[in-house]
Amino acid sequence: MQHANSQVAQVNPVRWTIRDVIFLALIGVFFGIIYQLWSYVYYALAATPLKPYANDMTIGVWIMAGPLAGVLLRKVGASVIGELLAAAVEMMLFSSWGAADLISGFIQGIGNELGFAATGYKNWDKLGLLMSTIGATIVTFAWDWFQSGYKAYTPTMNITLLIIRFVSIGFFSGVLVYWIRQLVAKTGLLK
Amino acid sequence: MDHFAVTNLTFAYAEDAPPIFQELTFAPEPGTFNLLTGPSGSGKSTLLKLLAGLYPQYGGVIQSGQVTVNDTEISTLQPFQRAAHVAMLFQNPSRQFAMRTVLEQLQFALANLQLSPPEIDRRIQTVLTDLHLTQFTHRALETLSGGEQQRVALASVLALGSSLILLDEPFANVDAAGRTQLLADLKTLQRTQHKTIILADHDLSGYAGLVDQLYHVDGTQRTLLQESPAALPATTPATPVQGQPLTTGPLAWHDLSLTVGDRPLITAAQFTLPASQLGLLSGDNGAGKSTLFAALTRQRRYAGDIRYQDRPAKQYKLKQWALQVAEVYQNSPDQFIRIQASDELALSAQHSLHPTYWTAERIAQAAARLNLAAVLDHVSYALSGGQQKKLQVLSMLIMGQPVLLLDEPFAGLDQASLQAVLTLLQQTIHDLQLSALVVSHQRQGVVSFMDYELHLADQQLQLIAGEAA
Amino acid sequence: MTQTADTPRGLNAATLTLIMIGIGFPLTFAQSVWLNTIVAGLGLLYLIALRVSWRKVSLILLIALPLAFGSWISFWFFGTVDRWHLAWMYGSRVYAYLLLGMIVTMTVSTQRWLVSLHLHFHLPNAFVFGLLGALNMADRVRHEFRRIQYSALMRGENLRLWNPLLYLRIVLVSLNWSNDLAEAMTSQGFTENAPRTELIADPMPAWQWGLAGGLIVIYCAAAFGLRPW
Ligand SMILES: Nc1ncnc2c1ncn2[C@@H]1O[C@H](COP(=O)(O)OP(=O)(O)O)[C@@H](O)[C@H]1O
Ligand SMILES: [Mg+2]
Repeated sequence: MQHANSQVAQVNPVRWTIRDVIFLALIGVFFGIIYQLWSYVYYALAATPLKPYANDMTIGVWIMAGPLAGVLLRKVGASVIGELLAAAVEMMLFSSWGAADLISGFIQGIGNELGFAATGYKNWDKLGLLMSTIGATIVTFAWDWFQSGYKAYTPTMNITLLIIRFVSIGFFSGVLVYWIRQLVAKTGLLK
Repeated sequence: MDHFAVTNLTFAYAEDAPPIFQELTFAPEPGTFNLLTGPSGSGKSTLLKLLAGLYPQYGGVIQSGQVTVNDTEISTLQPFQRAAHVAMLFQNPSRQFAMRTVLEQLQFALANLQLSPPEIDRRIQTVLTDLHLTQFTHRALETLSGGEQQRVALASVLALGSSLILLDEPFANVDAAGRTQLLADLKTLQRTQHKTIILADHDLSGYAGLVDQLYHVDGTQRTLLQESPAALPATTPATPVQGQPLTTGPLAWHDLSLTVGDRPLITAAQFTLPASQLGLLSGDNGAGKSTLFAALTRQRRYAGDIRYQDRPAKQYKLKQWALQVAEVYQNSPDQFIRIQASDELALSAQHSLHPTYWTAERIAQAAARLNLAAVLDHVSYALSGGQQKKLQVLSMLIMGQPVLLLDEPFAGLDQASLQAVLTLLQQTIHDLQLSALVVSHQRQGVVSFMDYELHLADQQLQLIAGEAA
Repeated sequence: MTQTADTPRGLNAATLTLIMIGIGFPLTFAQSVWLNTIVAGLGLLYLIALRVSWRKVSLILLIALPLAFGSWISFWFFGTVDRWHLAWMYGSRVYAYLLLGMIVTMTVSTQRWLVSLHLHFHLPNAFVFGLLGALNMADRVRHEFRRIQYSALMRGENLRLWNPLLYLRIVLVSLNWSNDLAEAMTSQGFTENAPRTELIADPMPAWQWGLAGGLIVIYCAAAFGLRPW
């Protein structure tokens, strides 16, 4: 029998161990499966003029891996690296997008990371997640302004998209990540 | 020849946790075959990981004393330095390989030691030949049987040149033939290359005449007791199940075949699980018992026909199926979907298929009989192995699916708990007319509760006790 | 991607990665249908030259069609100015991105890709072997995901994608498995930041650096200097 408590992970704020990498990469593989499930919803919407709405409604899901890595490992760079690892896994196992996966993974991770950095990497709690939500919303929106051409839409549409995006990121990468972290903390398996 | 020594060691998993070992002193004699026994949770793995230098790097605190190799503290060596002295085979073969194929795995291990490429090739050639593994060189590890995987792991250890070989319950997924072969390989290595071997196992059969030293981890005294290897049982005669005439039941399979990769596990099996009866599913490790459960719970592909009340499984939604065929998982954390033990029970009570039977009093009574009452406010994950098992069984009995499959539900249970679990199990399946099938390597104290035995060997699933009606 | 470090074909994986990112990034800010088409076309030619399975390529291109169409039509619908150009530009961009990705994902094995990044871009070994180890567990992860869902269904609960309890289980399994694998790798001598024997030769001739650099410069010059339609 294997003990659930056979690893109380210790947190080191800078060094990256092989265990950290495997841990985040495995979460990335799980996320790959979850993305596949979500992508059915996304595809149904994205093949219509509603594509930008589909983007903004689901974006919180695509970027969850970053802030989750942040609050679990509490390391400088964890959000970016967590998101990049998830993107690398996605690229190698599940999709053919490659460049898009890696670049957008990096951009999204930076957005979240900036939020945690704004707290001086001291707050991984509600405040940290609020900041990372704001950071991710701004950075990814700015990115889509160019990459997905949002600048061509009307201001009203852009404001609507921005609000949808904030809510999506706020829920999946903020509230949900906060709940997950609370649950993990209750098990006592991660210090 | 390397000398390993544990001196006055006190080790705990946390500063404030009770120590697992207190003032332990132990030094394996170089070139001997040592068997380490003790019930699950007593500290066998902990000791091996300490010897391997994995602790405290991977957890815990050494509160006093030390573990040394040739008088150097082992945890101060770099992993690539340690590997030349000591290496370990783990219980779960599938989680000890970083790479995909046998060759890549061996190359990975040897490249860690910074050997030159020709030396790496040479060592790989040698160990593959020595262990008769050459035909597997380019095979994907995933496609090998548990026994073959452990021999590949042994090959890496050999190639690394470690003089101390640690094996932590290496036979958990290995069939009898694989086990015999691995033990023979180990014995040869000990004799011809003077390797020191320490093997942890809770099952003592098959070691008589093989081991030089027998150690018992004593969980209460937190130390190691040396025992005479003469105490090892020669061969334990299996206590037979006294079969009963079988009833019929809702779940049946015909012509059922299961394969892993291209390796057949079960061929053309046929059976109807009798209701209100408790069956034992026996067979070697790695024979395919858990895989059969996975097929019955529709977790994996199968060929043939599985039917519930004469309707093919595939006509049921997975959601409906899960309310008909339930499993108590071998690995307890796979079962839990709440944090606290009481919430697990509450969830089951809320969705129970027999709400009138499982009244609050009955649940409380059952928890008390299983000695769980005092820990219900604890986090499930923090319970001991045995408590987790009991919690799992009780949660699933409260759900009360018509078919209940139990995979090693008795692991880590003491005698009293075993009795309590079996009594509760028997009574519940009787009262609610459930069909229950149990996988248990432990037979003692178990078989007297069983109504029939299904045995899995050579791909055949055979009823060996109990007569079909 | 195939999983083995097979004999490399075509350009070095690091070169391809450099091209993929080096062009993929500025592509976001470029505004040209022509350039998108050229990038996608060259990518396709490269795949053809390497004889990548036609059926796979077509399938992937086909699957992306709804996305490209979604981009196209959303600008047709919501665009404010220059709708024709924008619709075609963002539609073709989907394919430019896709083919930039495919020149890597369809021609390089996972292991070679990571080793190449290690040798030429100093990706630490912990990342190379950590990722490889995790990726080799992908099948078991899939099984585990099914089991997590079944374990909940057995208790009358459906763990939907927004339920934190689903992620709790995912985190705990990942924690457990990563610990087991990391301990095993450590016991096999793996040491973070220590030198290892490099067994895979992955030559990166200077002209390939030149090629990647040249392509990126030409692309940027065209995209931001010439600005074709
Ligand atoms: N990483 C850990 N953190 C906390 N407790 C642990 C950890 N690993 C094992 N334990 C506890 O230490 C005791 C000994 O465990 P272990 O060495 O795994 O026993 P065995 O191998 O004999 O089954 C058990 O009570 C177990 O729950
Ligand atoms: Mg153990």
